[in-house]
Amino acid sequence: MNPLFPIRKLVTHCASLALCRASLALCRASLAPRPASLGLAIALLMTGTVISGRAQVVDGRQLVKAQLVADTQHIEPGQKFRLGVLYTIEPKWHIYWQYAGDAGIPTQIDWQLPPGFQAGPLQWPLPTREQEPGGLEVFDYNNEVLLFTEVQAPQQLPAGPIELAAKSNWLVCERQCVPGDAQLSLKLNDGAQGPANQDIFTKYSASVPKPGAPAGYSVSMKPSDSQMVVEFAGVPQGSRLDFFPVPPENVVLNHGKQAGNSVVLSVDGGAALDRLKGVAVVESNGKTDAFAVELQPGGQPAANVGGVSTDLVGVLQAVAFALIGGLILNVMPCVLPVISLKIFGFVSEAGERPDKAFKLALVFSAGILGCFAVLAAIVTFFRAIGAQVGWGFQFQDYRFVLAIACLVFAFALNLFGVFELTVSARATGGLAKLAAGGGYGGAFFQGAFATILATPCTAPFLGTASAFAFTQPAWATFLIFFSIGIGMALPYLLLAVQPKWLRYLPKPGEWMVRLKQLLGFLLLATLLWLSWIVGRLRGVDGMVELGGLLLIIGLLAWIKGSFWTPVSSVRSRVLAAMSMVAVLVVAIGSYLFVTAPSGLSWQAFSQQSLDKALQSGRPVFVDFTADWCITCKANERFALDTSAVREAFAQNQVVVLRADWTHGDPEITQILKEHGRAGVPMYLFYPGGKDHPPVVLPELISSQTVLDAMKTGSKTVADARKAS
Amino acid sequence: MTIRNLCLVFGVLAFSAGAALAGVEVGQPAPNFSLPDTNGQTHQLSQYKGKWVVLEWYQPDCPFVRKHYGSGNMQALQKEFTAKGVVWLSIDSSAPGQEGNYPADKLNEIASGQGVARTALLLDPDGKVGHAYGAKTTPDMYIINPEGKLVYEGAIDSKPTTAVADLKTATNYVKVALDDSMTGKSVSQTVTRPYGCSVKYAQ
Repeated sequence: MNPLFPIRKLVTHCASLALCRASLALCRASLAPRPASLGLAIALLMTGTVISGRAQVVDGRQLVKAQLVADTQHIEPGQKFRLGVLYTIEPKWHIYWQYAGDAGIPTQIDWQLPPGFQAGPLQWPLPTREQEPGGLEVFDYNNEVLLFTEVQAPQQLPAGPIELAAKSNWLVCERQCVPGDAQLSLKLNDGAQGPANQDIFTKYSASVPKPGAPAGYSVSMKPSDSQMVVEFAGVPQGSRLDFFPVPPENVVLNHGKQAGNSVVLSVDGGAALDRLKGVAVVESNGKTDAFAVELQPGGQPAANVGGVSTDLVGVLQAVAFALIGGLILNVMPCVLPVISLKIFGFVSEAGERPDKAFKLALVFSAGILGCFAVLAAIVTFFRAIGAQVGWGFQFQDYRFVLAIACLVFAFALNLFGVFELTVSARATGGLAKLAAGGGYGGAFFQGAFATILATPCTAPFLGTASAFAFTQPAWATFLIFFSIGIGMALPYLLLAVQPKWLRYLPKPGEWMVRLKQLLGFLLLATLLWLSWIVGRLRGVDGMVELGGLLLIIGLLAWIKGSFWTPVSSVRSRVLAAMSMVAVLVVAIGSYLFVTAPSGLSWQAFSQQSLDKALQSGRPVFVDFTADWCITCKANERFALDTSAVREAFAQNQVVVLRADWTHGDPEITQILKEHGRAGVPMYLFYPGGKDHPPVVLPELISSQTVLDAMKTGSKTVADARKAS
Repeated sequence: MTIRNLCLVFGVLAFSAGAALAGVEVGQPAPNFSLPDTNGQTHQLSQYKGKWVVLEWYQPDCPFVRKHYGSGNMQALQKEFTAKGVVWLSIDSSAPGQEGNYPADKLNEIASGQGVARTALLLDPDGKVGHAYGAKTTPDMYIINPEGKLVYEGAIDSKPTTAVADLKTATNYVKVALDDSMTGKSVSQTVTRPYGCSVKYAQ
């Protein structure tokens, strides 16, 4: 092994290209969101709304309030933005989904857009299946819902405000039904900039069924006489399954019923349908997956509405990439030099019988495949365990995405050479003993041994592939890992038959290290995509959390690679371990500190909320702040959110208002100007109602500053009252 | 695999049994019933054998019902076909305490104010007949031929809205089905999706 060692180090990294591609193909097959919306996701944010609409009043309550909302306040030419109607529904009443069920009418929106604007299809969040008296069932929305669409603005926009309008009709029912309608309008490009209504668009986008079955699941339809049997495959055992149909006009469907892994539907007074559109719902371990499908009898889902599923083509593609990936593993620094040695070994052991050399290579390959089978089994095993305890190995679960992102980043650092992976001698010792024997048995274990010895070079790619394989059903996992194994074994089989071809093998050298580093960037690109998913699922905070995690992983990897290597002293290793623990403690501590909820009950500031608070006669404290203002955050944490200030505020019944200037609210800008300030932070303390001017606190405050200001303020009020 | 298939078979069987309990099917005999009308007289479906019968699920406070009565559309249809000998039975399946459950006098008062031309308004407060026919909405329409077989079930027309203006452009499925079947033609659309408020069955 010794002469091979430096080369082995080199070898590790080439396999990555094909493996990454295999893993990307895997994840492409498993993820619904389309990259096209990336720009949109980044561009979103803003607000501007006009409410109008005919009141629909029963017993003095307005049953449904409809409001036209957009996710932006300003549209650029050619921009795509989202436009929707937000319905606020009186408790217990409901409005209807695109298929109302046994009774009711689907909610309807007619967009009235200026020339050149194009609206896409209406997006319907997942409704509830509600039972009505007499065994009737309807699909409806309660409390609040946003029905929205994506609108494409024309390339040329007129100057000045743009008015968008929509007419909506709905039926709202409880024990009685009342039809309602509203003519709604919304003015954009009216001076205000920035995103709007981000919360509601994020919330309701998340509950719109994704197109196509998520990775690992598949849904198909089987005709069974007059019935349509919707079969679910790959779902966790004991899942609650449902199918919300969207039948064609004038087709009445009976209520879907779950039977085993199927949902059975039938047409009321008619033959079974040959196509069935709808939303498949899988509920398992408290998690709901809903996805839009269009089914045809015969198994395969008919052209999924825009999405990709684990179809045959996808799997074949992944297998092809996996084969190439396995093949590339052979030019890794730890593998390449072994090949010629092995081949020579086989040839000399076979002696005069060349067919024996091939047989030995065959057994050696079986050893390689054995290793990959174990790896696939481990992935499948953990996936099954995870499913049992309710972990969703899916890209819809941000924890899973975070874990994969951390793994990918660690492997990228490994490829860059920040730290090395080493296989412990103790772990490989037993296998080495088995592999030492000659003959077929020896050849098998040599194959297994070679695979394990190669792990320092192959782990980044196999690890990444395994992580993505978590989203796949067991059979796909095995198929893909076996393909990698076959790819890796292929040169041995070929060369055992034709040892002359050995001279075509590329020469090991420096290029392997550079290739390895280059492939590291490929993993970083994957990371970019993963962070986008985290952003979609968890917003800006989630992305920052991910960044923080990666920072810590980077630091840990650097400590490990620099101070804890096979050649470092015991003292260095102990110090390294202690520093790593210290990093973790500091990291967790800072996270808890930063995310601790404020102990003060802040209310949002507006001129109106301030006036109202002042009228009550209670003292008012206003915090003018912004997310990007570090001084503000430090003041809030160290001066305001302290027990002394909290107690003083509570004793004097102080109303605490927070004026958030993150987006440059003009109303707040005006008040800052009035007090001679160009920006935040600013703190105002109104000691007693409208008649007394506020105390302006300095920019840098401590708890004492705040308490002093309160004292000064109350004293002026007391003096003024005495004087009058 | 076999166990799963077995489950599936049982599921399908259980479901078919459930489906058979609720509702009727076009081409099959319409279930007989016996219900009192708002004047205390009892009507049995079987007594109308040899005649065309229309069943109309009705509930005066439903906005969809109001669309057809407020505009006079339903009364015109009743007038046209009762004149041709058709028996037109409106049925109110609202349970006590639910919307549309009124004493007989009140229902008669509403009817006379609207100039209805139905044969009778039957009271089905326990929802038995509604369930037997699988009536889901008001209105929900059924046509029974002189042999007592169902020839049409479903909506009154093709525009599922509460807007009176839509009546002009809507295809009235009941009129078309009656015209066709009474003149010996086959009914082109025998089943449609009914629209309206849910029938106010007992909780």
